[in-house]
Amino acid sequence: MRWLALLIAFIILAGLGTMPLYTSNYIITFTLQIFMWIALAESWNLISGLTGYVSFGHVAFFGTGAYTAAILITKVGWHWLPASLMGSVTAASLALLIGYPCLRLKGPYFAISMLGLNEVVRALVSYFDSLTGGGSGITLSPMNSILPLYYAMGGIALAGLVITYWTITSRFGLRLLSIRENEVAAEAMGIPTAALKLYAFLISAALPGIVGGFYARYVSHIEPLGTFPLITTVTMIVMCLFGGRGTIFGPVLGATLLSLFQEWAWARFLYIHEAIFGAIIVFVILLMPRGILGVLQQRYRLPRIV
Amino acid sequence: MTIQITGTMLLQGIVSGLLSGGVYAMIALGMALIFGVMRVINVAHGTLLMLGGFTTYWLFALYGLNPFFSLLISFPLLFLVGLLLQRFFVSRVVGAPELSSLILTFGLSIFITNMAVMSWTSDYRSVEFLTGSFLLGPIAISKPRLVTFGFALLITVAAFLFLNNTKIGKAIRATSQHRELAQVCGINVRRIDMITFGLASGLAGAGGSLISIMFSVFPEMGRGYVFKSFLVIVFGGAGNYPGAFLGGLILGIVEALTSLLLSAQLSEVTAYVLLVVLLLLRPTGLLGGRT
Amino acid sequence: MPGDFILEVHGVSKRFGGVTAVQRCSVALETGKISALVGPNGSGKTTLFNLITGVERIDEGEIFFKRERIDHLPPHKIARRGVGRTFQLIRVFAELTALENLLVVTRQDWEPSYRRASELLTFVKLDRLRGEFAGNLSYGQQRLLEFARVLMIDPDLILLDEPAAGINRSLLNDLLSAIRDLRASGKTVLIVEHDMKVVMDLAEKIFVLDHGEKLTEGTPEIVLKDERVMEAYFGR
Repeated sequence: MRWLALLIAFIILAGLGTMPLYTSNYIITFTLQIFMWIALAESWNLISGLTGYVSFGHVAFFGTGAYTAAILITKVGWHWLPASLMGSVTAASLALLIGYPCLRLKGPYFAISMLGLNEVVRALVSYFDSLTGGGSGITLSPMNSILPLYYAMGGIALAGLVITYWTITSRFGLRLLSIRENEVAAEAMGIPTAALKLYAFLISAALPGIVGGFYARYVSHIEPLGTFPLITTVTMIVMCLFGGRGTIFGPVLGATLLSLFQEWAWARFLYIHEAIFGAIIVFVILLMPRGILGVLQQRYRLPRIV
Repeated sequence: MTIQITGTMLLQGIVSGLLSGGVYAMIALGMALIFGVMRVINVAHGTLLMLGGFTTYWLFALYGLNPFFSLLISFPLLFLVGLLLQRFFVSRVVGAPELSSLILTFGLSIFITNMAVMSWTSDYRSVEFLTGSFLLGPIAISKPRLVTFGFALLITVAAFLFLNNTKIGKAIRATSQHRELAQVCGINVRRIDMITFGLASGLAGAGGSLISIMFSVFPEMGRGYVFKSFLVIVFGGAGNYPGAFLGGLILGIVEALTSLLLSAQLSEVTAYVLLVVLLLLRPTGLLGGRT
Repeated sequence: MPGDFILEVHGVSKRFGGVTAVQRCSVALETGKISALVGPNGSGKTTLFNLITGVERIDEGEIFFKRERIDHLPPHKIARRGVGRTFQLIRVFAELTALENLLVVTRQDWEPSYRRASELLTFVKLDRLRGEFAGNLSYGQQRLLEFARVLMIDPDLILLDEPAAGINRSLLNDLLSAIRDLRASGKTVLIVEHDMKVVMDLAEKIFVLDHGEKLTEGTPEIVLKDERVMEAYFGR
């Protein structure tokens, strides 16, 4: 059974890896975006899917990473790869700063405090304009080829998947789930909930930090409004919820399906996809709170490795 | 950038902040009611505020209706909207873990806000009704702010009277204090839920109407108010509605002072830092003990 | 050691807003004995449990466990020192399997093993359901799972909050004999219970609470003859 799974995984990876050789730029770009959403949705899954602590401001980490990388690239002359990795450091530091006080609170209070985080980071970015270029943002020199980014984004999506897999199949992951299921009981079992939540939060922030860095390189121009939009958080959330929160492949499923949907809808109606995401969130919460994979897991008793 | 901050400017800031604080307090009261009765954090509160603001705007732009009169329409209209939202959506998650209601109301707010964008565009609009200020000694008091503060105060006092003196109001308070006990006493809590959500939405809508007189009207206008209302509630403590009112005033003042002393952009940051600090000081959050 | 007190609660109080749930309560549990906490509804029994296990913070007083002060420790640290508890309203991890419910336990010095978890599941006769999601178990089965979970921590002091509630006769007998086995192996047990038959059956010492205060304490025979106890339960 295991060999089959590994074989399938290998085939998929090989296919994705060789795809740029024979497909159009459009498809490469589109797949790159799917990679990005997979990474983001998986990272949201790590904190909100596993521990049940809803992070409404998660795009703040994405934006922090983007700005870190952009500043390092333009002002210090770093290459975009290490610059993006630094993005994970600043994002994780922010997560530590916010998470340390806020994760001690119970779920709803944490969620609300995260609601404000995004606006705050954006305001700070606008304020320190000598560093960040303020409202006009930062521009990077244009890129020759999109291929390195394709592989980089693919790599980070894969990393996100692997990290999620390790976490969910470990005792650590089990303990995180127990926090989601019943935090008071988890504490009564000796589980140090505050510390574990913080670890999960840090990891879940580091990933978007790197993704943000790659994103900055990809779009070559970032400014506060476009880098910290609520729609990014909304998309992360809806993809994770729709596909199956707390599962390994749920966010992948959600990211793929909803990216396809988004692409289809964008061509026809410009803004409706955001409204529809909102409607999907409502729908999922009311009718299938565990998402597609979650429902299948319950119905067919699939192992957690799904 | 060094500017001489005079005592007058400080006083001006305080007065200004006090006036906006009144509106904050009224909006926060709505959110406190919903949380108290249903243990639901209504992330869509800001969206309801926005609908109230647009109601006033369209009535003004199309029919020239005095915005203060439009309160008579926006309040009941939003009451109805809130009632329906509760009846068809929120009621299904009232017993569920609190995170469900958070995500649900979040989804609703995204949907409604974007429907507004699609219907009315993202353009900023304004209700040019009352402008200018008058001088009280050295302080310039903005007329729109003063009048909206007055209305906010009026509406809040009316809400308090309602909660304290009417049968339904008392039922609402009973349910927020002890839901099971209220049920045992024969109170139809599902109906109370609907009425409370409607009332709270009405307050949010009224807040939006008042805000439209002072600031721009646009689909995302409600975004910051959820967070600020929450801050106000945390400050006052759950069920402590007068405390929440005080919290609203203080938030207004702190914001105005930060804007004056540091920068307008940083006033958002102060609200946030304030919340985090408050939450740390009261580690168990609103309910001071029980979760 | 007999005569030793594994848990000492000195003058502990807790207020919620205007309500005083526990008022200057003092309780001392003798090591290795089964004690019971009784009292009418609202007398503060569960609150006292919450204070001992750190779920709520005391407003005044002190709590000592094995001579060590624990009243300002977070719940997980108290659990790790060897205090286990069950809850009045069942708290199982619904989307974890029965086995996983036991495996999440965290103690300082050892990692929970499959073997120990399996043994405990067998002990409460849930072995064949080990792979079932805890949320799908029946009420009685969940109660047993909670019981097994408490034992997984290997606690020296076990607090059981209404263990007999809603359990049928046969399961109840199994439960009672399991509790007696615990005592035989040297553990100290404190139960909160309404079912006076169970209390009389098990307890060697009874503490009576009323309106958050300790009314009286003593052996079952003495306490039941106390008029004040009758009044608290039936009078007024």
